[in-house]
Amino acid sequence: MKKFGMTRRKFLAGAAVGSASLVASSYMSFDAWAATDTVAEDVKVTPTLCDACGNWCAINVYTKGGRIWKATGNPIAGLNKGKVCVKGHAMLHDVYNKDRIKTPLKRVGANRFEPITWEQAYREIGSKLKDIIARDGVQSVFLVQYPEGNEDLTNRFMNALGSNNVFSHASTCFLPRNIGWWLTTGAPKPEQDLENSRHVVFIGRNPAAGLQLRMLVDMAKAKDKGAKYVVVDPRFSEMAAIGHQWIQIKPGTDLALLLALANVMIKENIYQKDFIEKYSVGFDEWASKIDYYTPKWASEKTTIPEKVIVKLAHDMAEAAPSSIIHRGYHGAMGTQYKNSLQLVRAAGCINGLLGSYNQKGGMFNAPKVKLGKLAPEKYPGVPELDMPMSDGSGDPDKYPITPVGLGITQAIPELALAGKLKAGFVYHNNPLRTCPNPARMIEGYRKLDLLVSFDYVLSETASLAHYILPESYYLERDDVVHTNHCYTSKQVAIRQAVIKPLYDTKPMVQILTELAPHCGVGEYFGFTLEEYNRAALAPLNISLEKMKKEGVIDLGGEWKPGEPKFSTPSGKLEIASSILQDLNLPAVPVWEEPLVSPNSKDPYEFRLIHGKQAHLTHARSINQKYLKEITTLNDIARVWIHPERAKALGIKDGECMTISSSVGKGRARAKVTEGIHRDCVFLPSGYGVFAKNLEKAFGFGTSYNDFLPTYFDPVLGHVMANEIIVRVEKTQS
Amino acid sequence: MPESAWGWLIVVYLFLAGSGSGAFLAAVYCDLLAPDWSKSLARAGSLVSGPLVTIGTICLVLDLEAGLWEPWRQIYLAKNLSSMIAWGVIILSGFIPVALLYAAALNEITFVGKIARKYIRIIEYVGSALAVATATYTGVLIAVVNGVPFWNTPVMPVLFLASAISTGLAAAMIVAAIIDASTIKTLSNFALGHVIFLAIEALVLMLLVFMSLTRSTEAAISANMLISGVLSPYFWVLVVLLGILIPFILSIVEYYEYGEMPKSLVIGSDLLVLMGGMSLRALIIFSASPPQII
Amino acid sequence: MPRFGIAIDATKCIGCHSCRVACQNQNGLEFTETFNWIKDKERGKYPSYDKEYVPLQCNHCGNAPCERVCPTGATYTTPEGVVLVNKKTCVGCKYCMEACPYKMRIILHKAGIVVKCRLCIEMVREGGTPACVTTCPTQVRIFGDLDDPNSEISRFIAESGAEPLRKDLGTLPHIYYKRS
Ligand SMILES: Nc1nc2c(c(=O)[nH]1)N[C@H]1C(S)=C(S)[C@@H](COP(=O)(O)OP(=O)(O)OC[C@H]3O[C@@H](n4cnc5c(=O)[nH]c(N)nc54)[C@H](O)[C@@H]3O)O[C@H]1N2
Ligand SMILES: Nc1nc2c(c(=O)[nH]1)N[C@H]1C(S)=C(S)[C@@H](COP(=O)(O)OP(=O)(O)OC[C@H]3O[C@@H](n4cnc5c(=O)[nH]c(N)nc54)[C@H](O)[C@@H]3O)O[C@H]1N2
Ligand code: SF4
Ligand code: SF4
Ligand code: SF4
Ligand code: SF4
Ligand code: SF4
Ligand SMILES: [Mo]
Repeated sequence: MKKFGMTRRKFLAGAAVGSASLVASSYMSFDAWAATDTVAEDVKVTPTLCDACGNWCAINVYTKGGRIWKATGNPIAGLNKGKVCVKGHAMLHDVYNKDRIKTPLKRVGANRFEPITWEQAYREIGSKLKDIIARDGVQSVFLVQYPEGNEDLTNRFMNALGSNNVFSHASTCFLPRNIGWWLTTGAPKPEQDLENSRHVVFIGRNPAAGLQLRMLVDMAKAKDKGAKYVVVDPRFSEMAAIGHQWIQIKPGTDLALLLALANVMIKENIYQKDFIEKYSVGFDEWASKIDYYTPKWASEKTTIPEKVIVKLAHDMAEAAPSSIIHRGYHGAMGTQYKNSLQLVRAAGCINGLLGSYNQKGGMFNAPKVKLGKLAPEKYPGVPELDMPMSDGSGDPDKYPITPVGLGITQAIPELALAGKLKAGFVYHNNPLRTCPNPARMIEGYRKLDLLVSFDYVLSETASLAHYILPESYYLERDDVVHTNHCYTSKQVAIRQAVIKPLYDTKPMVQILTELAPHCGVGEYFGFTLEEYNRAALAPLNISLEKMKKEGVIDLGGEWKPGEPKFSTPSGKLEIASSILQDLNLPAVPVWEEPLVSPNSKDPYEFRLIHGKQAHLTHARSINQKYLKEITTLNDIARVWIHPERAKALGIKDGECMTISSSVGKGRARAKVTEGIHRDCVFLPSGYGVFAKNLEKAFGFGTSYNDFLPTYFDPVLGHVMANEIIVRVEKTQS
Repeated sequence: MPESAWGWLIVVYLFLAGSGSGAFLAAVYCDLLAPDWSKSLARAGSLVSGPLVTIGTICLVLDLEAGLWEPWRQIYLAKNLSSMIAWGVIILSGFIPVALLYAAALNEITFVGKIARKYIRIIEYVGSALAVATATYTGVLIAVVNGVPFWNTPVMPVLFLASAISTGLAAAMIVAAIIDASTIKTLSNFALGHVIFLAIEALVLMLLVFMSLTRSTEAAISANMLISGVLSPYFWVLVVLLGILIPFILSIVEYYEYGEMPKSLVIGSDLLVLMGGMSLRALIIFSASPPQII
Repeated sequence: MPRFGIAIDATKCIGCHSCRVACQNQNGLEFTETFNWIKDKERGKYPSYDKEYVPLQCNHCGNAPCERVCPTGATYTTPEGVVLVNKKTCVGCKYCMEACPYKMRIILHKAGIVVKCRLCIEMVREGGTPACVTTCPTQVRIFGDLDDPNSEISRFIAESGAEPLRKDLGTLPHIYYKRS
């Protein structure tokens, strides 16, 4: 054996090298390897909150030798119950991404930036902003953000200026969902006791990819106890993979299904009569209209066999009251269809027929923590503003029930083009990529006299900004105390820096307090984040030190099943909504057609639908190499198409398709699968980054927004994201 | 999941180790059985054998990733005797010096050669055993891999041995023709060797492929890749047609023509055998298809 | 001495890849390097259409072909039945990669050695749970002692009839699967 070793070494190291010296050197090298490997590096753990998506899960982040290493979930956290998702793990690495913005930047040309000091940035932004306000009035200033955590302070900044033009992602995400539940139950986001539910119907909700970790933990447990999950979706979603039944539905027609379910329950008298009598209004009105919506009728609309509809109604009723239709989020019940609002209303009413409110395994309102506020004597409060937003939110004549402070974000470019908006701040949001019709978005945002972005990379929107004030990465900053983790009990949580900022960046709160004086509103920001957080925690008797040590603190106050309560105008579950009645809209849920429908005779025409993938957050995280690798390795950026439709177009699995709509054109490779309704094609929504500075992501895949015209839903103003007709062809090479 | 872990270096290694040991066997055969009229072939075979196996072994070493940069690690290479690589290491470390010594002895190179010349028969017997072991071992190396059902058959070593002898003979014949042009005539005697071993190779290959079609799903995937799938053009053209059929016919002609065939055609035919042997190994390695596990 | 294993309830897997990246971080792997793969399998036509996600990793075979073919003895089995690679003696010959019927080994080109799932041996020896198990949101994975009939994993295997992948290969894996 030794002899052979030497024979080979001869070829390698040359005969000149003696075996003795080789052996000696080999031992040295073994030790060298061992040294890098086994010497215990100092490992530190910091509890904080993830910011890789809007869930803000509580995580414990480990550093090794001062470098971010890994994360585990905080087991008591109501939102994630000890879990960390794929993005939560991968986005840890992004703190070291070389695409990060390292200093404040000023744009000096198309996609050309110059580093400037914070002082210069504040000064120039302050003086430009003051000029614009003097010239065009303060309502020409807006903020658009993904409102969470620091929203109290960003809103404070805007209100201090005197503008209530605070926009969010609402009109591209959840607007009808929140308004629908609010109209029906009085709460925009009722929770569901999934751990104890026996039968849950998901209508266009896919928590297995549009992740919510707590839901998954609860469902996994309930599944072991025999809970049944029915997934209604045009495609076989990840939720369908772990559900018990997949009901394939023609997209945009869920409302018909729900009306027919109500029809069966009411006709067959299998609804919870006591509940309806005691806790609801408008049942009779609805019952009188429900006759029309027979399973047969719905079967034609939805392409679901009549039998399946009837059986579903029976199954749901049988498991009542631990039986629910899930609250929904973005898919179907979110901002996707013209009839989404009615759909949510119908779901709320059916959960009434099931008597599930405030029942074990039903829907409930999570207990709320009341945080303290800065003492007004010391820190003046901002003026209350009571007026509609520039986009018509809160305007009785335009979008009366669209809340002020959420806004209709795709209206910003329209308002800018009309000269109504002149200056904007963009915080933790990327409207250019996440709103419809990017060409129009760019055109509008270009019109602005001042655009300030607080991004950490040069996103599509940041690339267009005049100034970029880089916020420190979430692993490098402290944020305000928040209460998002409340679920069945009350919890407070905090984000804190795990490592010092690597570059010349600052936490948002510090940026605001430093910028405010230059904008003439310094008096409202004379505090530090620490003071703010201490004030928030004061009534809870928790010191900031303890808060930071624990990351999440459970305050008890557990939700218990009991008497249902509704904070609607009538104090009851409003099957007939008084608010909708006053607006001359259908008071009880009735059928409404989707805005558009593909021509079923045209082999090229499809509806384009989209959805999340577990490893991607909107279109922002495909720039992360660990996450992008998951896409490329598994080849999952492809567009789903039904085998028969694909065949008719001569498209084979993996081949390139050209997709076009009235506003856009793009290409994608086909995933030919039985797992999708033949009326639509499905595009995963995490792709299509066109920000040149995001090296990994740029130009990879396409986005549904590229095909979506700028729409405004007539009632709420949302984007109606799935009302897209596309033409699909095999790409001619 | 990673697809094939081994690439061209291993292919070349398998090929060179095979043809090197084949050349050795050819040389010994000539030296033992027909010493007067086949001297040049024996000399050629002995001269190419050692270098071929050595270069092949370098390829194997180059394919080691940690063992290349930290060569002392190779000390461990024969630690686990249930590994065919360990056996390969042992066999090769025996065969390479013997093959080199044989070249020296048969051609009386340096004083070492002159001394060794006295023990030529011992070198030939020991060397032949090691050469058969080397050629067979390259087949066993992959035949024991149950991670690739197509390889996992006792037919594999037989195929590798047959191909090693054909390619070794070819290598020796080319070199013989180059170093001594007058030898062409006598070489045609050995064309019969080609005919026999190419025929054996073809039969064993047929056996391997057709048995694989029914042996297991995965073996069938590999076999289909060769006979009708993505690799089929290479298989049919490079291995079957150019590597076996044409040299087979040319060798028959050569045998009957008794030295009347042009030299270029003789050498060409042998080159085709070499090319076919190399392609055969490449295709066997690259058609690996793992068990279907889900 | 316990005999460690993992039971995988594939009927709960959503293919989220959280296990993959948790493991990459735990083991300091680059983005292209992984010890976990999630494969999906489609079956049938609607309404009986079904898709299943199957998480894959080294099976810690009781009769491990990778160990048998490893010339250097770098691949070895610990007393707990965990198959490991000694990175100081591996030469990077990749024979084990060819021999593994499950193709669960990768080569780290920088270090020149072959690696694979290590069952988070340091953590589990101290009573912890592997990173991929802790992070899985739907509790697909159950880690524990296969020799203790009262462990969660043993009970799960007994109740669900979970079986190793390709039992017929005789590799005696320590990873069990419940499939749909
Ligand atoms: N991994 C990950 N998780 C996330 C996010 C993320 O970006 N990435 N974002 C978070 C946010 S902000 C949101 S809003 C949620 C979104 O969470 P979800 O609302 O669950 O997510 P989507 O994937 O948009 O839509 C869900 C499903 O709706 C289906 N669908 C489309 N059209 C129809 C229809 O007409 N009828 C029915 N029945 N179904 C239809 C789609 O096929 C898709 O499977 O996810 C949250 N969690
Ligand atoms: N193409 C596409 N469009 C979508 C969706 C989609 O999936 N794909 N989903 C829709 C839905 S449901 C929603 S909720 C909206 C979401 O819409 P957005 O909120 O616009 O979506 P994100 O992609 O999360 O954008 C977040 C922006 O914040 C930046 N950012 C990330 N971390 C930080 C940080 O720590 N500090 C600061 N200051 N900035 C940070 C990112 O770089 C990015 O530019 O989009 C909607 N539109
Ligand atoms: S769901 Fe994942 S990405 Fe979102 S906050 Fe939680 S761990 Fe982070
Ligand atoms: S799965 Fe493969 S790598 Fe793991 S022990 Fe078994 S043979 Fe070895
Ligand atoms: S690559 Fe390393 S672990 Fe694998 S067989 Fe070779 S020496 Fe053993
Ligand atoms: S057990 Fe540990 S090493 Fe193995 S896949 Fe899971 S996390 Fe990775
Ligand atoms: S973390 Fe769990 S659910 Fe997600 S892919 Fe891995 S095993 Fe499946
Ligand atoms: Mo959203």
